[in-house]
Amino acid sequence: MIKRSFFGLVKPKLQYEIIDEAPAEPISISASKQILLLIDQFPDSAGNDLFKTGDEVRRGQKIAMADDAPAYLLSSQSGQISKISEFVGMLGKKYMAVTIDVKPDAKRDVKSDAVRAVDESFKKACQAPSLDNAAKYLAGLPGKPDFSVFSDPEKPVKAIVVCGVDNDLLTTTNQYVVKNNIIAIKTGIDLICKISGISHAIMVVPQHLEQVAGSSGAIVKTVDSEYPSAHPELIVQHILASDDGKSMSESGIAFFSAEAVSAIGAAYNTGIPPLEKIVTVITKDGNKRLVSAPIGTPLQDILSEFNETLNEGDRVVFGGPMTGTSVFSTDYPVLPDTDTIIIQDKSQITERDDIACINCGECVRVCPANIQINQLIRFLEAGQYEEAADQWDLFSCIECGFCSYVCESRIPIFQHIKLAKHTLESMKAAEEINA
Amino acid sequence: MHSTLKLTVSHAPFWHNGSSISSKSRNILLAGLLAVIPGCLQYGIAAVGVVTLSIASAIIWELVINFISRRPVSVGDGNAALIGMMFAMMLPATTPWWAVVTGTFFAVVIGKEIFGGIGANPFNPAVLAMTIVMVSWGYLFDFNAALLNYQFDFNAVYPLVLSKSFGASAVDSFALTDLLMGKQIGGIGSTFGIGLILGGVYLMLRGYIRWEISISFLAGVFAAAMGFNFFNPELYAGPGFHLLTGYTLIGAFFLATEDSSSPVNFIPMLAYGLLGGVLTVLIRNTGVHIDGVLYAILIINLVNPIIDKIRPKALGKGV
Repeated sequence: MIKRSFFGLVKPKLQYEIIDEAPAEPISISASKQILLLIDQFPDSAGNDLFKTGDEVRRGQKIAMADDAPAYLLSSQSGQISKISEFVGMLGKKYMAVTIDVKPDAKRDVKSDAVRAVDESFKKACQAPSLDNAAKYLAGLPGKPDFSVFSDPEKPVKAIVVCGVDNDLLTTTNQYVVKNNIIAIKTGIDLICKISGISHAIMVVPQHLEQVAGSSGAIVKTVDSEYPSAHPELIVQHILASDDGKSMSESGIAFFSAEAVSAIGAAYNTGIPPLEKIVTVITKDGNKRLVSAPIGTPLQDILSEFNETLNEGDRVVFGGPMTGTSVFSTDYPVLPDTDTIIIQDKSQITERDDIACINCGECVRVCPANIQINQLIRFLEAGQYEEAADQWDLFSCIECGFCSYVCESRIPIFQHIKLAKHTLESMKAAEEINA
Repeated sequence: MHSTLKLTVSHAPFWHNGSSISSKSRNILLAGLLAVIPGCLQYGIAAVGVVTLSIASAIIWELVINFISRRPVSVGDGNAALIGMMFAMMLPATTPWWAVVTGTFFAVVIGKEIFGGIGANPFNPAVLAMTIVMVSWGYLFDFNAALLNYQFDFNAVYPLVLSKSFGASAVDSFALTDLLMGKQIGGIGSTFGIGLILGGVYLMLRGYIRWEISISFLAGVFAAAMGFNFFNPELYAGPGFHLLTGYTLIGAFFLATEDSSSPVNFIPMLAYGLLGGVLTVLIRNTGVHIDGVLYAILIINLVNPIIDKIRPKALGKGV
């Protein structure tokens, strides 16, 4: 954990992790018994008639609530569905949790078995690459590519941005992919440009990877190494806006992580979607290692690989230290957007407090969105969310978490902001239904 | 997905820089000691009594309010102790006990707790209390009278009284280095200039007080005093004298910088400090009061919410 520096004259700086000159190969971990897939559940797709307990699934097979459901995952292992249940995540978001018992023979040596056990439907569909089959089969790839931006008629996509930067601290997944797999990224960028018909591709990388990224064929832009400059909204604001002025930030931009782009490239080249996610694992002693694990691998298997034992009161974070999510169970799986897993000992946890804001202004000085957080938090604590949104720029927040990190009163500011946004959005949704 | 192992689950971020209100209070208290200890050496055990009584009674008042309002005990954050010490730093060493206890009552209860506790006070509690007791029992805080029985090896007249009554030429006898080294009478912790400056620089470097406020406050005093001095050097003392006498230094480093009653944005902080500095000299030179720092700080506290509206546009708002 980075502590407050002795000198506090200037605002605190947090540096993004920079990957080593020659990063170690990721440790390959596979699921020992089961994999668990959490699939976004939408209120209107409550019934599940596609799968039931006992069904056989093959590696690469699409698991979804309904045939045309926008949210799905691809099973990373062949096996048998042993359980389908509901899982409730952050802010009451519902998921369908599908547990798949891994076939013993598919457990190790993925290469030889996989070809036989793999699902063929994507291979058939990908003969002619198109946005349609990408959206239908590839949104479950590692890096979680989002193809829905292309179908928004109000914001036509003008540019494709490939993020070779990681958007939280300690994370090195995208940098690793840029460093080791730039050819696959190039293939991926060419493919996305081809299927979307957009030729303007930009690659955003940290400064030290500028040379490597040059061979991707895209326009290369760099971001500095201070958190949160690699945040997508800030990339749009600072890096892209300077080129085309306002037009860029108002039109649609399709963001893809470098990992997703390289996976898309590989998927179309081989006909087999890659389903190994690269995750940075930070153990209690602070050691960082890259891990390659199939999507759906439960936390338990990763813990046993590192010989970590969890005790009462420890914390496991999926995602970076600033924006991740803490989990309550060792069954929680690696998902397409899990870039980091942090295991924190009980002694490393700073407790939050409910002291009122003392108006020191640290949060205002670090806020990348220039929000008056000292005023905002007063409204949020009182539950006056509409005033907070109207007068104090609640919706300008880009959710970097920096304000909570520096708060002297240790107020969970970020949590207040998330809750306020969620409350206002669900109120708006309810009004639309009633109208 | 249920197991017996209970993990800690909380919201992001999962890191914290380790800062806390109590460490901030502790550091400001320590920096204040740089001025309080020389003050105690100068005025003897009486000053020690005033300082300790002030800190102790401020903590007790906060405890009493915690108890009455059935709120969690908040003295642990050190803010009450800090208010007590700030208040004592402005007092003459001979202040009677009842005035100290009443003063900390005004500071902690009237100045802070009835507004909702830490972070909610519109005025600096210590300044508010000092102003109230000064208006109520002015004779106690006439430094010339209060410190009459002390024997000093320097000119034991309150410098600001001299300059006010007899003009600038009367204070020529005060060398600036003597003023800086605390060879003047005044509040227990507000005369030893070098200690206040060292403490202030320490706090600014550590980020516990904002340099924008302190520096602009001093710049305001300097500029305004220079202007007056230029206009009529016979009548108005120079900027060095104004910077090193009265409550100027304690005001710039310890009083105007109080978090809750000061702005947080860059330009407002500069404006706030500058206004305070200019008002200080205006009140000293043209007002009826001897020292203008306390009133100046109350006034800038009052305008703080308005000037803090000068703020940068939030991301995605407007052009």
